[in-house]
Amino acid sequence: MKHLTHFVSLLLILCLLAGCGNKATDNQTPSQTETPETAETPADTKTSDSQSQEESVKPQAVENGAAVTVTDMSGRQITLDEPATRIVALTAADCEILYALGAGDTLVGRGEFCDWPSQVTEVPSVESGANTNIEQIIALNPQVLLMSTMAQTEEQIAALENAGIHVVVSDAQDIEGVYEAITLIGALMDKNEEAKAMVSGMQDAFAQIRENSTGDGSETVYFEVSPLEYGLWAAGSNTFMDEIARMLGLTNVFSDVSGWAEISQEQVLQRAPDYIVTISMYFGDGPTPDQEILSRAGWENIPAVQNKKILNLQNNELSRPGPRLKDGAEILYDFVYGE
Amino acid sequence: MLEVKNLTVRFGNTTIINDISFSVSPGQWLMVVGPNGAGKTTIISAVSRAVPYTGQVLFDGTDVQRRKSRELAQCMGVLSQSHYVGYGFTVEEVIRLGRYAHAPGLLTGGRDDGEKKVLDAIEKTGLESCLRQSVLTLSGGELQRTFLAQVFAQDPRLLILDEPTNHLDLVYQKQVFHLVQEWVKEPGRAVISVVHDLSLARAYGTHALLMQKGRIVSVGPVEKVMTPEHLNAVYSMDVFAWMQNLYGQWKTLS
Amino acid sequence: MVLRFCTILCTENRFDPIMSAESGFFPLRTCFLQEDLILKSNKRPESFRPLEYLIFIAVTTAVMLLCVCVGSVMLPLKDTVTVLLNALTGAGFPESELAANILLPVRLPRVLCVALVGASLSLCGGAMQGLLKNPLADGTTLGVSSGASLGAVLAIAFSLSIPGISFGGTMLSAILFAFLSLALILTLAYRLDSSLSTNTIILIGVIFSMFASSISSLVITFAGDRVKTITFWTLGSLQGSSYENALVLLGTLVLFGGVLLGYSQELNAFAVGEDNARNIGVNVRRVKLMVLISISVLIGVCVSISGTIGFVGLVTPHMLRSLTGPNHKRLLPATLFGGACFLMLADLLSRTLLNPRELPLGVVTSFVGSLLFIYIFYTSRKGD
Repeated sequence: MKHLTHFVSLLLILCLLAGCGNKATDNQTPSQTETPETAETPADTKTSDSQSQEESVKPQAVENGAAVTVTDMSGRQITLDEPATRIVALTAADCEILYALGAGDTLVGRGEFCDWPSQVTEVPSVESGANTNIEQIIALNPQVLLMSTMAQTEEQIAALENAGIHVVVSDAQDIEGVYEAITLIGALMDKNEEAKAMVSGMQDAFAQIRENSTGDGSETVYFEVSPLEYGLWAAGSNTFMDEIARMLGLTNVFSDVSGWAEISQEQVLQRAPDYIVTISMYFGDGPTPDQEILSRAGWENIPAVQNKKILNLQNNELSRPGPRLKDGAEILYDFVYGE
Repeated sequence: MLEVKNLTVRFGNTTIINDISFSVSPGQWLMVVGPNGAGKTTIISAVSRAVPYTGQVLFDGTDVQRRKSRELAQCMGVLSQSHYVGYGFTVEEVIRLGRYAHAPGLLTGGRDDGEKKVLDAIEKTGLESCLRQSVLTLSGGELQRTFLAQVFAQDPRLLILDEPTNHLDLVYQKQVFHLVQEWVKEPGRAVISVVHDLSLARAYGTHALLMQKGRIVSVGPVEKVMTPEHLNAVYSMDVFAWMQNLYGQWKTLS
Repeated sequence: MVLRFCTILCTENRFDPIMSAESGFFPLRTCFLQEDLILKSNKRPESFRPLEYLIFIAVTTAVMLLCVCVGSVMLPLKDTVTVLLNALTGAGFPESELAANILLPVRLPRVLCVALVGASLSLCGGAMQGLLKNPLADGTTLGVSSGASLGAVLAIAFSLSIPGISFGGTMLSAILFAFLSLALILTLAYRLDSSLSTNTIILIGVIFSMFASSISSLVITFAGDRVKTITFWTLGSLQGSSYENALVLLGTLVLFGGVLLGYSQELNAFAVGEDNARNIGVNVRRVKLMVLISISVLIGVCVSISGTIGFVGLVTPHMLRSLTGPNHKRLLPATLFGGACFLMLADLLSRTLLNPRELPLGVVTSFVGSLLFIYIFYTSRKGD
C-alpha cells in the first residue's frame, strides 16, 4: 500500500511537471486575441512577392454541370455533387470570406473564435483548433468542413468523410494564400464571379497602396500583439503585418524573428521604431492600448512615442487571412501617410 | 504540584479516558501502568495540551489551559515516545532548543543562565563526544539520550516521560532510569512516566497509577497499587507467577 | 546529501563507556555514515556571522550587477557604469541616451523585482519546509501558488479592484486564496494522516494544485476574451516591472519576511518535530497561524505581480541547507540572498538565451526545480 502511494504521488508529480511543459509550448502561439489556427506560423515553402499577382490567381475549380471539383490548399482533390449549401468553417478568416462572398447563410457552424461580422455569432459554435470536436461537427450535418490544418488524425478525417462531410483545407500563410482561399471558397459555393471580383478588389487596393507609398524602408514599425503587462509579443517576419509593412515601404523592426514571439522590451527600445501598431483588445476600463504605450517608462525617447505615432487596431484587421486585410492595409496607409 | 480532576478525553464517539482524577507531589515518581489501549499515553497528551479534553489539569493550583506555552514549559517538561527529526540538526542544536522557554524575550528581558543547565544536561547524558554530530546519524539510544538531555536542559520541575525506554536495549534502559532517578532526588521535582515493564515500574516508582480501558483501577504508593490482585485482574492472567518464572531462571545460572 | 549505508564493526569506543557496553550486546552495528561528517565537525555557529553576511551580500551584489550589465541589448560596460553612477549621484545624463533609457526604466526595476520575488519565494519555501518538517514543501508543490493564481484570475474575471492601488484587488484576492488553499490543504492532510508524512501532504498539494488550475481554466473558458489574456499571465512575466512593483515587494518582504525570520527558533523546533515544539514551550497554534499568514501574503503578492514561478522555494533552501545546516537562524537569511541570486540568474537566462526573444521565467525555474524535485524524492526514498 505504501509503495502504491509513492508510485501514485510520483506519477502525479510527473503529470504536474508535464502540465508545466505544455503550458510553455502553448504560449508559443498566443491565443488571447486570435484562434490558434489563425496565429501565423512561418510559411515554409511559399514566397509571396516573387510571384506576380495575375499569375497566382489560377482557376481552382472545374465546373462540370452541377458538380464542383476543387483542389484545396493541402493539395487534395475534392469533388462535390453540387455547390455547397451547408458549411462549417472553423477559422475566423474563412467565416469572413463566406460572408464577404454573400454566402453567410450557408454557414451552419463556426469555430468558437469567429466574431466577424457580428451576425456570425448567431451561428452555432463548435470547438476548434486542438480541441476540434468531430461529433459536434457531424451533428450539424454539413456538406463541407473548412479548416486550416490537418490537426486531426487520419481516423478522424476518415470518420468525417464517412459521414459524408468533405474536408477542405484553407490555410493561407500570406496574401497570395488569401487570394487562393477566396477563390477556393468561391468555387465551393459556386460564387466564382464574386470571388474573382473580391480578389481583384484586394489586388487593386494593395497595388494602389504600393504605388502611393513613398517609404523606402528606412522608417520602421513595431507590431505589438500582446501588451507589456502579459509579456511583450511582437509580429515578426512571415506574418501579414510584416507583408503589409513592406507594401507600405516600412521595415518591421522584428523581421529577424519568425512569426509571433515574446520579445524583450529592451529590444524595442534599442530598435526605436518610428511607428507602433498594437492589436491589443481594449476592454473598456483603464487606459486604451495606445495610451498605455505612451505612458510606459523608458519609452519616451522612441520616435513613435515622441511623435505619438501609435495605432490601435481593435478588430484583427491585420492578423486574419481574410478580405479585411485590405481594410487593415488602408488604415495603416492613412496612419502612416496621413489623409 | 500537578492535580488532575475529572479528566475525560474523547476522539469522536470513543471515550479514551473516562473521568479520572489523581495528583502528583514533589519527590514522587508516578508510574502509569496498564495494558495496551488503557489510555496511558493519552493522559500525557492531555496534560501536555496536545489533545483536547474536558475536566481540569492544575499545575500549582492554576489551570494549565490558562498558562502561556512558555510558562508551562518552564515548569513542565515532556519527553515524547518517538523521535523522527526531519533534518540534520546537530545534537547540540537539539539540546539547546530545550532552553527555548527560558530564552529572554524582546520585552521581558531577564538573564538566561541556561549555559550551565545545557552543559550539565550534556554531561549527565554523556553526549559530549557527539555534540556536533547530525541527529540523523544517531542510533536509537543516542537519539533518546539527546532528547532526554533536551528536557533536562529545559529544567522543569515536573518531568513527564512517555515510555522512555521503548525500543532501547538493557544498557540504555538502565541508564535512563538511573538518570531520572538522580534527577528527581533534587528537592521540588517530580516525575510521571508511562512504563510497560512492570518490574521497572515497581523498582523505580514511588507511586503508581494502574489503568484499564480508560479508567483508574488503583492509584497510590507503588506497593499498594501493584499487588497481585490488581495486576492479575487488569491483565487477566497470573502476572506474578509468570514474572517469577521468567526471572527465577537466571538464579540457577548464577 | 549522500548517505552511505554501511555495516561496521564497532571495536572501539566511539563515544563513551556505554558504547563499549553496547558493543558487548551487539557486536555488529548497522549505521548510516554521512560522508561529510568529519568535515562538518567544526562547530556551526548559531546564527550568521558578520563575515558570512558580507560574503552573501557581496555575491548577491555581484549577481545583481551582472544581471544589470548583461541583457537582451548589449550595452557597453562603460555606459552602464556611467549611467548607474550618474543615477546614484543624481547627476543628469543626456535625455536621448539609449543606455539610460534601457537601464533605469526597464532593466533595473526588473532585476530588482526578480531579486525580491526570488528572495520572498525562497524564504517562504524555507519556512514551509521547516514548519511542516518536509523538504519537498514549496508554494508550487503544496498548491498555494495555484490557489493564489486562482484568486487572481477570479479577481480579474469579476473586475475586483481597489481604487487608488493598481492591481490591489488582484493582490488581495490572491493573498486570500493562498491562505485558504494552505488552510484547506493542511486540514485535509491532518485529517488523513496526523503525522503529516512527506508523501500525504505533497500528494494532497499536487491534487489541489490540479484542482485549482482546472477551476482557473474553467473561469477563463467562461469569462470570454477579457480573461483569456490571463492565460498569458499565469506563467509569469516580469516584463514591465516597475519601481512601484519593487517597492510593494520590498515592503511585503520587510514586514512579513521579518515575521518569518523572527520565528526562526520556533521553525527549528517545528523542523525537529511539532510535538517537540509543543513540549519545549512553543505556542504551536499561534506560530503556525502567523507563519502561514506571512507565507500566504508573500506568495499572494509575488503571484499577483509576477505570475506563478514554480519551484524557486523548493530549490534554494535545499541547495543552501548543505551550506548552512538546517538551523533556520542561518538558513532563512541565506535563502533571502540565495533565492534572489537564483532567480536573477534564471531571469538572465530567460532574457538572453533566445535573444531577441524571451523565454518565460517559469519555464526556466520549473525545468531546474522539477529535476531537483525528482532528485530529492529519489534520495529521500532511498534513505528510508
